[in-house]
Amino acid sequence: MAQQTPGNTQAAPPPAAKPKPKPLPTIPPELDALPIWKLGAPALVAMVKDPKSTLFQKAIACKKLSIVGGKEAIPPMAALLSHPQLSCYARFGMEPNPDPSVDEAFRAALPKLTGKLQIGVINSIGVRRDAKAVDALAKLIDHSDPEIAQSAAASVGMIGGPHAARVLQAALSRTQAPVFPVAARAMLLCAEDVIATNRAHGLDLYRTLSAETMPKPVRLAALRVLNEAGPAPEYTNRWPAPTGEAAARDKSGFLGR
Amino acid sequence: MSEKHGEVTRRGFGKTLAAATAAVTPAAVTPVAAQIASPGPGQFGPVVVGNYRPVDQIIMGGIGIRSRGMADLRMLLGDDRIKFVGIADVREDAREMVKSTVDGYYKTNDCKMYRDAAEILARPDIDALLIATSDRWHGLMAMWAAQSGKDMYIEKPGAMSINESYAMADNIKRYGTVYQSGAQRKNQYAFEFAVGLARSGKLGRLTAVHADTAIGLGTVDEGGHSWWPEEKPEPDPLVFDWDKWLGPCLWRPYNSSYKDRGRGQFWDFHAGLLEWASHTVAMAQWAADMEHTQPVEYIPEGPNFRGDGLIERYTIRCRYANGIQLILRNHSWRLLGSCSNLFEGTEGWVEVGDSGRIEVSDNLKSLVPKKTGRAYDPTAEHLREFVSCIRSRTPPRANAVATCNTHVASHAAWIAAQLNRKLEWDPAKRMFINDEEANRMRSRAYREPWRAEALATSM
Repeated sequence: MAQQTPGNTQAAPPPAAKPKPKPLPTIPPELDALPIWKLGAPALVAMVKDPKSTLFQKAIACKKLSIVGGKEAIPPMAALLSHPQLSCYARFGMEPNPDPSVDEAFRAALPKLTGKLQIGVINSIGVRRDAKAVDALAKLIDHSDPEIAQSAAASVGMIGGPHAARVLQAALSRTQAPVFPVAARAMLLCAEDVIATNRAHGLDLYRTLSAETMPKPVRLAALRVLNEAGPAPEYTNRWPAPTGEAAARDKSGFLGR
Repeated sequence: MSEKHGEVTRRGFGKTLAAATAAVTPAAVTPVAAQIASPGPGQFGPVVVGNYRPVDQIIMGGIGIRSRGMADLRMLLGDDRIKFVGIADVREDAREMVKSTVDGYYKTNDCKMYRDAAEILARPDIDALLIATSDRWHGLMAMWAAQSGKDMYIEKPGAMSINESYAMADNIKRYGTVYQSGAQRKNQYAFEFAVGLARSGKLGRLTAVHADTAIGLGTVDEGGHSWWPEEKPEPDPLVFDWDKWLGPCLWRPYNSSYKDRGRGQFWDFHAGLLEWASHTVAMAQWAADMEHTQPVEYIPEGPNFRGDGLIERYTIRCRYANGIQLILRNHSWRLLGSCSNLFEGTEGWVEVGDSGRIEVSDNLKSLVPKKTGRAYDPTAEHLREFVSCIRSRTPPRANAVATCNTHVASHAAWIAAQLNRKLEWDPAKRMFINDEEANRMRSRAYREPWRAEALATSM
């Protein structure tokens, strides 16, 4: 039996009088994003390039270019990667752009930056899973700044694949806290990626991560995967089925498997 | 029976247990208490259930607790299964407020204060966290808590983007921690009743689930992507750490108005529809038995869509793969209170809201209990469920997977509204179909040095 008010838009009582909306704050025109937001990609690219553009204009232009920017938007945004305030806006604009020139720009910027700005680019490389950057990141795992080393290890894990796994296995054998726990977590990500295409290799990685020396959350995570996979043959074969008199005594069949 | 070398008899086991327990029991605990305490790692003995001694209590800490978080904290403190031991906050006043509340409750001076969340995450004695920072931090904090092996009750919304929603849920699954989102209506009677009607077939074949997503589009962020209030000198980081307060959000110059009011009007700090959708879309997905997935189609409707995020009256019509509709709208409700839901089937309908009242089609009126209509805050029950799930290691109602799918659906609907066009979504590939602009809007790059350790979704 069909009932009344499908969608509820007809029978609903009239809404109560709307409360008076709060007055919107007065926005200074030079700090209003809306006019910039309405621009097309060519004008936005020109705004990012223009040395006369303000910090605010470049920032909002990068934000909008994250949605509409093409290949031509990459070089002007990449030029901002070394800017202390605008680097995050440049990465915001570049990270979701599928054009391969983004990866090239991040890789090119990597050795030229330091500190937090370098960390930002390392993180973006991880998000984009740029396999061509693994070797450059591998070197940074040994960086004297532990935050850079941690970010590099994390990004290698996010990139995944057998090569990344080898890099992280080597890192686990030579790093110490605070880099070691991040490398272990990165290896966990990598194992998750590898097991999807090579189950045996993936399980090997999880076995490495289940060692007592690993951080407890990582060890438990690895054990959960290994438990789900079932016991290894060396464990299932440890107790052979009873034979002879013992088998005769076992009427239940429980021991006989 | 004599004790042989290397064998443990029943009497000998008792002595061994007493000796082992004494070895690890603090001197302050009486021998009697030591004998009934649960065994520690590597020990054997009785497990105390339902009689929570200090060694059995779940040790909790907090991150970013102010107004909403304080309400959670007060309810949590009443649960004697937990002990609250520390607070991390970028605001000195907030740290001190929490410490004074906790210490006042326990009549001690033990609650530790930290400026940096990393310090509380590094404490191995803490089992679980209450996280009630501002929206922009929820996703990352959840991931960090999971990576530290800690369970968490975390205020909503749970993530700022589609990709962050997946990264959060993937991390919770990877590390096997218990996650309860602050979608407390999942433990509120009127909503439970409505979901029960939908799931038990009393509405017939379900056709549409409606969610009041209210604010989020209409009042947020005029101008699409924000403006910057005038720059002011940054405060002393010991009192208010602006850099950490901003966290993963894009940099902007400091102005004191952010920290006290008006965050919601800035897209950078806001999770779109999820102010209310965290509750109402979660309920709709629960009612439709769709907590494991998301709609595959999103159609924004309404004459006032402008494409820059400014909408006064909106409807976003979404469709699951099985044909059931999820309808998000901010108008034409029966005035049953905030966060309303309506579930419609071929044989009836039910609508509920925060008033606690339950409205149903005529044929279902006999099913509605007479003693309803009371508005109440179900947060205490929601928190109790969380604590029980810490012990049972089972997912609570507002678990990470349900939360993730609620958030992905709500973010996808919001992206459709922003772009002002129909979008199709592939839940398996975690991407929109044939719409590059929409796909680019699935993520928000984090400001350096913050990062999510996650396997990125499809690029």
